[in-house]
Amino acid sequence: MKIQTSECILSIKDVSKTFPGVKALQKVSFDVRRGSVHGLVGENGAGKSTLMKILSGVYQKDAGAGTVIFDGETIENTTPHESMHRGLAIIYQELNLVNTMSVGENIFLGRFKEMKGMRGTHTSARELLDRIDCKIDTHKLVSELSVSEKQMVEIAKALSFKSKLIIMDEPSSSLTAEELVELVKIIHQLKEQGISIIYISHKLDEIFDFCDVVTIMRDGQIIDTKAKVDLTRDEMITKMVGRSIENEYPERPQNVGATLMEVRSLNTRKLHDVSFTLKQGEILGLVGLVGAGRTEIVRAIFGADKTDGHQILINGSAVRIKNPNDAKLAGFGFVPEDRKLQGLVLPFSVESNISMASFEKFTKFGFISKSKESEIGIRQAKALVVKTPSTKTPVKNLSGGNQQKCIIGRWLENDPRIFIMDEPTRGIDVGAKYEIYVLMKAIAEKGGAVILISSELPEVLNMSNRVLTLFEGRITGEFNPQTASADEIMRAALGMTEGSANP
Amino acid sequence: MKKNIALLGQSFLRNYVLIAILALIVVTMLVEPNFMTFANLINIMRQFGPLVMVSLGMTFVIIGGFIDLSVAGTISLVAVVTVTLIDPIGQVPAILVGLGVGALCGYVNSLLVLSSGALTQAEALFITFGMSTVYSAIALMYSGGSTKHMRFLKGDTSVIEALGQGSVGIFSVSFLVFLVCLAVLWVFQTQTRMGRAICLTGGNKTAAHLCGVPVSRSIIAIYTISGFMAAIGAIILFSRITTASPVIGAGYETNAILAVVVGGTTLKGGKGSVLRTVMGVLLVILMSNCLNLLGVTPYMQVVTKGAILVLAIWLDNRTQI
Repeated sequence: MKIQTSECILSIKDVSKTFPGVKALQKVSFDVRRGSVHGLVGENGAGKSTLMKILSGVYQKDAGAGTVIFDGETIENTTPHESMHRGLAIIYQELNLVNTMSVGENIFLGRFKEMKGMRGTHTSARELLDRIDCKIDTHKLVSELSVSEKQMVEIAKALSFKSKLIIMDEPSSSLTAEELVELVKIIHQLKEQGISIIYISHKLDEIFDFCDVVTIMRDGQIIDTKAKVDLTRDEMITKMVGRSIENEYPERPQNVGATLMEVRSLNTRKLHDVSFTLKQGEILGLVGLVGAGRTEIVRAIFGADKTDGHQILINGSAVRIKNPNDAKLAGFGFVPEDRKLQGLVLPFSVESNISMASFEKFTKFGFISKSKESEIGIRQAKALVVKTPSTKTPVKNLSGGNQQKCIIGRWLENDPRIFIMDEPTRGIDVGAKYEIYVLMKAIAEKGGAVILISSELPEVLNMSNRVLTLFEGRITGEFNPQTASADEIMRAALGMTEGSANP
Repeated sequence: MKKNIALLGQSFLRNYVLIAILALIVVTMLVEPNFMTFANLINIMRQFGPLVMVSLGMTFVIIGGFIDLSVAGTISLVAVVTVTLIDPIGQVPAILVGLGVGALCGYVNSLLVLSSGALTQAEALFITFGMSTVYSAIALMYSGGSTKHMRFLKGDTSVIEALGQGSVGIFSVSFLVFLVCLAVLWVFQTQTRMGRAICLTGGNKTAAHLCGVPVSRSIIAIYTISGFMAAIGAIILFSRITTASPVIGAGYETNAILAVVVGGTTLKGGKGSVLRTVMGVLLVILMSNCLNLLGVTPYMQVVTKGAILVLAIWLDNRTQI
């Protein structure tokens, strides 16, 4: 036992975390050796962030489930403040600095007294920044710094707490190549000073560049922990995405027809020259990491966001879509990414939520017919088997799956030709998921088409007729999921290879 | 009708504030017999007219998820403009111009709110607060800072006089105007597509927009209605006293918001009703009347009102969702 604590700065054993309805972590165990850089990889929603938040004390692990030993000390019910002082620092993707204060003030935020005033604050800040060879003036305002400089400040802040372990959550996501080189240099310096680092990233190149040990997570479980030298890239990808695909999906739609919609050179701040076609009767899957531009594409097509120019052709003729109402009239349906924030009017009744995209059907001369509205609500609720005591029940009282069905029903009332579904099954139980897959298939087979976005790769691979991969706002590949392997697709989505189409 | 009574009952039970105020009234009746005199009840009805108009308009802004602090400035401006225009262009045209000015003030507010992105109530709060001072300043400049008097033209039937003092049967003319406004606005809110669009906008702007609900038009509508109703309130207000000071509207915004919230319309938007607001207005006026009769100093009355607004908002936060 003694040997272990001296070798490992952090030792996690059998830690579980349950959110209402979801097991976010299941018996997670791994050790971080002193002075090592430990890579942590996994798909979106694999549980990396949850685990880190438990370590920092933002979340509490399930009572009695497992132990966390940090620096020889068992940690229970900690808070972010406590763990910081204990020497465990987290640098989040969205850095936590006060923009209107100086670098020095940020590093010693709330500790000016200990530093004996401003002069002490700036002298000590200088020393810390020098330790990582950082030349930033400590009097400069944080708002004037670049992202990478802000990261340095965060690292200096972590050092000021004499941190023994620094967790970096996707630190490279907003860095340029040169800035990344700087960061890697700093990571090596920290390692030499005996500080351990947990490095969370999607970018496998980085993991292979400088991590000593890699832990792979999937579905809230640790799949494997291996020294980098024993691990191949392919093995890593397979372990990240591979999972036994059971019979949880209906057969995909069969009759793919001619081109229904064509999107030409769609450009926004985040998207670069995106062009693709959508065929009648197909489900088109968009695969990419969060931030790759999946949601941006469908929002732009639907008229929810402004673009720097694009063209949409439906059945060969150009269509102008300036806002969601135009899109609705052009035959689009849209299930937004965030059910509660973007989809539903929570305090309103089921029928009001279902009817809100088809006013034309129950208003005359600007007046509402409540009985016709109820008919629409009842018809769709029945067709989609929405489990609710009545269509007058507030939609907030329904389960996630039934809420999602209300949103789908809302659009089905308009018989959409092109149905966009952004994360349609997020936070929904397995049974309801299957029903939503069947609905998707039905829309496609009735002569429409579905654009499916999902962070769950198996879902996209099993439902889509065709898959487009996206990386940093560009389409990097087009695949037939029936013939292409998950590894191939994942590689294109990670920007590692170019796929067959769109060179 | 039965349903409406039930609705009022429901809102009553849901609002401890109402119970507290009713308790205040009962106490006043016991302690101060003057409360139930004819003169006092007339007094209450007089205050009711202008405030209820402003509050009905405010109800739409709040249901739409926003807020309008500019009504104080709007009332002052409309009152001053209308009074000074009566001589040169006649009563009816002057009133029409006044209503137009009110609607225009609201329309300008809505454009400013929209151009700010119309994201949160807070932006609307600051914008309309700023516009209130602008409208008040215009009123002051227009009037040269002095109170404007109305001259009656002898022999003519005076519309303003009828509005201020006339009655049809047992109802005063201004009360009939109120009933018409209430009916129109109630139908607008509950029976029309635009009314529903306003509720959906207040309930969830993003979701409404993504469903093709005309969110921007709803925002224009709520502010224009608010400005228009404030103008009606202004005209009723000066028709009784026949003079219009350039600061005549001061304080109406807080009273209107108080009435709407105490009535049970949630500040979170989406839900609410003009009928509830009528209850709220009644209670706000009764309360200040009771406090007056009980000899509470005006300063203390302001404190009480503020405290009740805070309490109402606190309860609103606890009872909804």
